[in-house]
Amino acid sequence: MLAAAGALYFAPSFLERGTLNDVWSVALAVVLASSWNLLGGFAGQVSIGYSAFLGIGAYTTVLLALRGMSPVLTLPLGALLAAGFSVIIGYPTFRLRGPYFTIATIGVGEAVRVVASSVSFAGGASGLRMPAGSFDFESNFRSMTLLAVALVWIALVVSRSAFGSALAAVKQDIDAAEALGVNSTRLKVTVHALSAALVGLAGGLYAINFQYVSPGSVFDFRLSLTIVLMPIVGGVGTVAGPVLGAILFGWLQLKLLSIPALLNSSLFIYGALLIAVMLFEPKGLLGLVRRLWARRLRRFYVDA
Amino acid sequence: MPEPIVSVRALTKRFGGLVAVKAVSFDVEPGEIFGVIGPNGAGKTTLFSCLTGAQRPTSGSIHLRGERLDGLPAWAIAHRGLVRTHQIVRPFREMTVADNVAVGARFGRGRRRGADEKGRIRDILARTGLTARAGSLAGTLTLGELKRLEIARALATEPDVLCLDEIMGGLNPAEINAAMVLVRELRDAGLTILLIEHHVHAVVGLSDRILVLNFGERIAAGRPEEVLRDPAVVAAYFGDAPEEAAL
Amino acid sequence: MQPALDVVVNSFLAAGLYATMAYGLAVIYGVMRIINLAHAGIMMLGAYATFTLFTRFSLDPFLSIVVVVPLFFAGGVALYRTVVRRLPRSGSTPSMESLLLLFGVWLVLQNLAYVLWSGDTQSILTSYTLRSVSLLGVRVGVPALGVFGMSALSLLVLEFVLHRTYLGKAIRAVTQNRDAALLSGVDADRISAVAFGVGTAFAGLAGTLLSTLFAFTPDFGRSFLLKAFCIIVLGGLESVTGVAAGAFVLALLENGTAAFTTLPTSLQDALSFTLLVVTLVVLPQGLPGLFRLVRDRGRG
Repeated sequence: MLAAAGALYFAPSFLERGTLNDVWSVALAVVLASSWNLLGGFAGQVSIGYSAFLGIGAYTTVLLALRGMSPVLTLPLGALLAAGFSVIIGYPTFRLRGPYFTIATIGVGEAVRVVASSVSFAGGASGLRMPAGSFDFESNFRSMTLLAVALVWIALVVSRSAFGSALAAVKQDIDAAEALGVNSTRLKVTVHALSAALVGLAGGLYAINFQYVSPGSVFDFRLSLTIVLMPIVGGVGTVAGPVLGAILFGWLQLKLLSIPALLNSSLFIYGALLIAVMLFEPKGLLGLVRRLWARRLRRFYVDA
Repeated sequence: MPEPIVSVRALTKRFGGLVAVKAVSFDVEPGEIFGVIGPNGAGKTTLFSCLTGAQRPTSGSIHLRGERLDGLPAWAIAHRGLVRTHQIVRPFREMTVADNVAVGARFGRGRRRGADEKGRIRDILARTGLTARAGSLAGTLTLGELKRLEIARALATEPDVLCLDEIMGGLNPAEINAAMVLVRELRDAGLTILLIEHHVHAVVGLSDRILVLNFGERIAAGRPEEVLRDPAVVAAYFGDAPEEAAL
Repeated sequence: MQPALDVVVNSFLAAGLYATMAYGLAVIYGVMRIINLAHAGIMMLGAYATFTLFTRFSLDPFLSIVVVVPLFFAGGVALYRTVVRRLPRSGSTPSMESLLLLFGVWLVLQNLAYVLWSGDTQSILTSYTLRSVSLLGVRVGVPALGVFGMSALSLLVLEFVLHRTYLGKAIRAVTQNRDAALLSGVDADRISAVAFGVGTAFAGLAGTLLSTLFAFTPDFGRSFLLKAFCIIVLGGLESVTGVAAGAFVLALLENGTAAFTTLPTSLQDALSFTLLVVTLVVLPQGLPGLFRLVRDRGRG
C-alpha cells in the first residue's frame, strides 16, 4: 500500500493532466465507495443519501472560503459538519430497520437537496463559486489520492478490529448482538459519523478541484445512487470490493463519455448492472471472482 | 434469608388484545437453579424476553439486586449481569465459533480485550466442549453444537444470572445429560440460573425451585416435588382428569 | 372559514389519488414483503403511455384507463415471472436484494422513457383541463374531480374483490400471515404474480390520473413514491380504508401548510419525509395501531 501511495505521490511529475484528472476521479470514487461501505457493507445499513455529506463538505468549504478562510482549514470543518449532520439524522432513522431505514435515507437526501436549493445564502439553485485564488492542482491531486489510500487502510483496520466484529454482529443479527451487550444504536451512529466525515472531507476537496458547487452537482440523487452501486457491484462488505467497484465505474464513465451512442444509456447500464448483481451474484464482482476461483480449484483437485 | 437476586412483581405483557404474561410475581435466590415450566403458549419465553430487555413489560417491575431493570435496553441489562440464550438459536452464521464467543467477551459486562480476552474465550470453549470447532463458521455447526454456542456466548459476557431458554430442545439423551452436567457446573461456579424447559425429568432433576405458568399466569411455585403434585399444575398439563395423571 | 373548507375539499380530492397510488405499493409489500421502488417508474410509464395514447390516437386520458390497466397488469405479472420470482426469499422480512433489484428496474425504465420520449417536460391538455366547477363553494378543477371519481371507483372495486372473491381473500390471508395461508393451500406463486400485477396496474392507473393533473418528465415519480410510502406507513397494510385514511392525513397536511404557512411548495418533499420518519419512529403500526391502542385502553 505504501508503494501505491508513493507511486501516486509522484504521478503528477510524469503523467499528463488528462490522465491525472481521471485518476483523481477514480480516487474520489474509491473514497466515496469505501466510506459508504463502512456503514453499508460492514454494518449492513444501506443508505441512499450519501450525497448529502459530500454536499455539506463541499458547501462548507466554499462558504467559508468566500468569507476569507484558507481552503485547507475548511476541510476538517466540512468533515465535522457532515459528521454532525449524520448524528442528528442518525438517531431517529437508526430506529428503523433494513429497507425502512433505506427509504428514510432517500427522503433525507432529497430534503437536503431541496433545502440547499431554496436557501439564499448558499447561492440557491445556481450554486456558488470559489473565490479566485491560487488553486494548486498537484496538491489537491495528492490529497485526494492520499485520502483514497488512507480509506483502504481504514477499511482494513476496521474490518480486523473489535469495532469491526461488533459491526458484523449487528449486521447479521442485531437483536442477538444487543442481547450480548452491544449498544447497536451507538455503534451505528459512530460508524455513520466516521463514514460521513470522510465523505465530507472528500466534498471539500471536490469543491476546491472544481472551484464551483451547486445543488444539482453535489446533492444529486444520482450521485447517491452511484455511491451505493459501486461497492455493491464490486463486492459489498469487503475491503477490496468498493475499490473494484470504483475502478469499474471510473472506467465506465470514461467509456460512456467517449461513445456518444451510450451517453444516454448511463441509467440503463447502472440499472442493468444492479439487476444482474442482485439476481446472480449478490456478493458482487469480488464474490464472482472468488466463486469461479473456488470452482477452478475444485475441478483441479477432482481431475487430478 | 439472603436477598433475592432477581425480583419480579406483577409483571404483565400485553400484545394488543392478547395478554401473554399476567401479573406474575416471583423471587429468585442467588445461586439457585430456578425452573420455569408450563404448557405451550403459557408465556414462558415472553417472560424471559421481558427480563432480558428484548421486550418492554406493559406493567410491573423487575429488579436485579435491587436495581430496576424493566425499561432498560437489552445491552444495558447484559452489562448489569443478566443474559439469555435463545430458544431458536441465533448464531452469527458468517463468523467463526471463536469470533461469536468473542462478541460476548468484548461487549458484555467483562469487556475483555487482548490476551485477557483470548484466554477467557479459550476457557469458555473448553467448558462448553467447542474447542475443536473454534475455527469453524457458525453456520456449519450441528444443532447440539449451536445450543452450546448460545451458552458459550452468553457466558462470555460474565453474567451473574443466566436465562436458558429450552436448551435441551432437539437434543438426544446423551446430549441432554451433558447439558444437565454443564448447568450444574455453572451453578457451582457461582451463577444463578433460570431455566425454561419442557423435559420434565431435566427440570425436576436440576431445579431447586420451579415456577409454573399457564395462560400467562402463575399457578404454582415451590420445590419440584410439591409443584408436580399440585392439582392446578396437573390440570394444566393433563386436563381435569386427575385419575389419568396418577396412572 | 373559506380557506379551511378549501383545504378540506382539496385534501379530500387529493386523497383519492394518493390512496390509489399508495395501494399499488401496499399490495406488493403486503403479499411479498417487497418494497417496490420501481413503482415510481411504473407510474411515470403510465403517464407517458397515456400521453402517447392521447397524442397518437386522440384517446381521452380517462378513457385510456381501459387500455392502461390491463396492459400494466400483464406487464406486472411478466415482470414478476421474469425477474422478481428469481430472488432468493429471506423469509418474511423485507429483503435488501429485492429493494435494490427493483431500484435497478426503475433506472432502466427511466432510461427507456428518455430514449422513447426525450427528457422534455410533457403534459396533457384536453378541452376540460383548465375548466373548474364549484363544489361546496370551493373552486375545483374538472380533472381533479375526474381523478377523484376514478380513484374512488377503483378503490371500491378493490374493496369488493378483496372481500368477496377467493383471490381477494387469499391476498388478505397472505398479507396477514403468510405461513398460515400457505398451509391452508394458497398457491403462493400465483398469488404473488397476481399481487404484483395488481400493484403494477394500480401504479399505471395512478400514472394516468397524475398525467391529467401534472406535467411530467422521466424523473417524475420520486416525490410521489415518497408520499406513497408515507401513506402506507400511516395507514397500515390491512385495509383499503386504512390507506385512504393515511392518504387523507397526508393531503390535509400538505394543503394545510400550503394554505396557512409561508413554506414554499418545493419543501413538500421534506414534509412527506418528516411525516414518514416521525410516523415510523413514533407510531410503527401506523394509524390502525393508534386506533387499536385507544380501543384496547378503553377495554382495559
